[in-house]
Amino acid sequence: MWPVTAIEVLSQEGTLMVANQSNTLTAKKEFVFNSAAYLLRIGTERAHTLNELLEGLRVVPDSSIFQHMFQTLAEHHYIREGFSNDFAHWAFFSCNETGLAERLAGIDVREYTSIKEMRQRIIQVIEEYVKRNSASADRKALETFYFCSSDTVVIPTTISARNLDDFVDGLRRVSLHSIHYHFINARLRIKLNSNDFSQWLNEELGLGALADKFEAIDIYTSTLNGVRRQMVKLAESESEHARVAA
Amino acid sequence: MSKKPVQNTTDPTNDSASLGVAEGKRTESASKVNRVPSSLDTAGLMERRKSPRIATTPPAPDAPPKFDDYGPIVGEAELSEIRYVADTLRGRTVKMVNSTAVGGGVAEILNRLIPLMNELEVPTKWDVITGGNDFFEVTKGFHNALHGEQYELTQAIKDIFLSYNEQNRERMTFDEDVVVIHDPQPANLIKSRGKKGQKWVWRCHIDLSNPHAGVWEFLRPMVEQYDATIWSSPAFTRQVKVPQYLFYPSIDPLSQKNKPIEENYVAKVCDDFGIDRNRPIITQISRFDRLKDPVGVVQAYKMARKYVDCQLVLAGGGASDDPEGAVVLAEVQEAAGGDPDIIILNLPPWSALEINAIQMASDIVIQKSLREGFGLTVTEALWKSKPVIAGAVGGIPTQVIHKLTGMLVHSVEGCAYQIRYLLTHPEFAAQLGRNGREHVRENFLITSNMKRWLLLYQLMLGVAKKEKAA
Repeated sequence: MWPVTAIEVLSQEGTLMVANQSNTLTAKKEFVFNSAAYLLRIGTERAHTLNELLEGLRVVPDSSIFQHMFQTLAEHHYIREGFSNDFAHWAFFSCNETGLAERLAGIDVREYTSIKEMRQRIIQVIEEYVKRNSASADRKALETFYFCSSDTVVIPTTISARNLDDFVDGLRRVSLHSIHYHFINARLRIKLNSNDFSQWLNEELGLGALADKFEAIDIYTSTLNGVRRQMVKLAESESEHARVAA
Repeated sequence: MSKKPVQNTTDPTNDSASLGVAEGKRTESASKVNRVPSSLDTAGLMERRKSPRIATTPPAPDAPPKFDDYGPIVGEAELSEIRYVADTLRGRTVKMVNSTAVGGGVAEILNRLIPLMNELEVPTKWDVITGGNDFFEVTKGFHNALHGEQYELTQAIKDIFLSYNEQNRERMTFDEDVVVIHDPQPANLIKSRGKKGQKWVWRCHIDLSNPHAGVWEFLRPMVEQYDATIWSSPAFTRQVKVPQYLFYPSIDPLSQKNKPIEENYVAKVCDDFGIDRNRPIITQISRFDRLKDPVGVVQAYKMARKYVDCQLVLAGGGASDDPEGAVVLAEVQEAAGGDPDIIILNLPPWSALEINAIQMASDIVIQKSLREGFGLTVTEALWKSKPVIAGAVGGIPTQVIHKLTGMLVHSVEGCAYQIRYLLTHPEFAAQLGRNGREHVRENFLITSNMKRWLLLYQLMLGVAKKEKAA
């Protein structure tokens, strides 16, 4: 039974939403904020040269690729410079191969929906580099690269949202691990070039434009706190706009 | 002590300042803001340096902090997540065994960790192995050998090790769901594994990257009977047939060494030691050990002094009860050559608060180690938002990420240059300090360690809901 002040609204996609008297859209399916915690496992593969890195990349489990491409964004979420992924970092700081580091840093996790595709791309970048710079292939790095992987455990929170205002409140309150889980890691879970937040905003609240703005936030030039602040600002602006329009 | 603003607070969400400040822009060092100046004049400071006031008795211990006390430091969301994981383990029990209840980093960690675990209702017992002098001579020999020193491993030595492990096995009970054995001394307690479903974990706190082959091969079969092993760095590991997890060592941000302290106390300690707060302070806190390269630090300081004004504080301990420490202290004093701006302090073991104060007063903290385990003195300095210059050895590069959370060096000359650079670029130095503090907050605090332990128990006991990388 809907409240008497409720107005039924159909989004473009046909999803039933409800607008209350203040015109705050209310989704039928709430957004449940989860978080995640990670245990880092040290693998047996290690690399002292670019060729050994290639060998390792071909055989390590998916969880290792995940760790070195995705997790580093959580582990160093307070730094904006230089930490796109562990492979790029190692190529720069330990191998002194700046060109390779830049190419590896250019691999954007947002463009992939499977670890398999990402692994192939990383291998391709290094193979091409080594082919053009054969002397670099077996040059010993300053530090060894240790392939690690993470065991991920999902941790539920008590925070959920059915409308935009509650969603903003949730964004403010959850840990950065939750932001990372929904905004970055989600890409692999939902196999779309998107994230949990954008998907819910679009499908449950019909806020496609806001969803696109969320998606466009650059995770590589912001800290995770910076990403959070941008999302809050965008969502608050949308909410204010809706109030004024009402 | 009157209430004054405490130091050691930074806003982790303020990332508006960026690295790479324009060259030549010099502003006041962050350490000098709100700084209470020295109460002594120059002559008074010089006199105090000759006879520093060093506490002769330990201070009263603080009451151990409660779990909720960490909320303002790591955030309530983080505490909630830890509580959630702990709740899933309700009813499960843990035992931790190590070789000593007092002294050393492991005991220090367990003294904090275990009460917190019990507060979260994950009952954790702590047991300590016992042994005669012969046993501890053997384990000390093993410790040095595992760090790469020459050692004659005889059957008699092996028998002593096995015999005391057996005695402890008979004395102790192992009824818990998870048993954690710390370091090699109690490693053979694994023979007590019996209860169905019980999990055994071997936690290695030392660097095994270059061990004595014989000693390692003696220990390896014991280690490979465990269900999992834990290491402080991938570089410290051996190839063993059991899962290896990475747990960074951690500091307690509420311990005497790391808690926020009053600015007045910092000023008092500096006065007690003759440290001039009106001039830049460069500090290395380490025992007097050649592997910490204190003579190298003196040399780097002297090179830097040609360009920038500063004082050097070398604060350490162990010289009183360690013959080698006394020799190294003498070497350092000789290298200092009577320079009045090199302040050498031989501190007693209960100087945590004084060390805290000296670190807080410092403009730069140095850890120019030639070899190092993890290097928790670095963690302490980073937590205090101090720009750190450190040797690229052991676990230090895990903490000091070059040009992001500190500066890594490989030589006396490199250290000297970074001293000059950081003293003349205080905004860049301050950003390093901010990044360093966040790096510690994320990875090297005791709450992070609690989470890792709880997650490990969850996974090992089959309670956790693991998520697959898609």
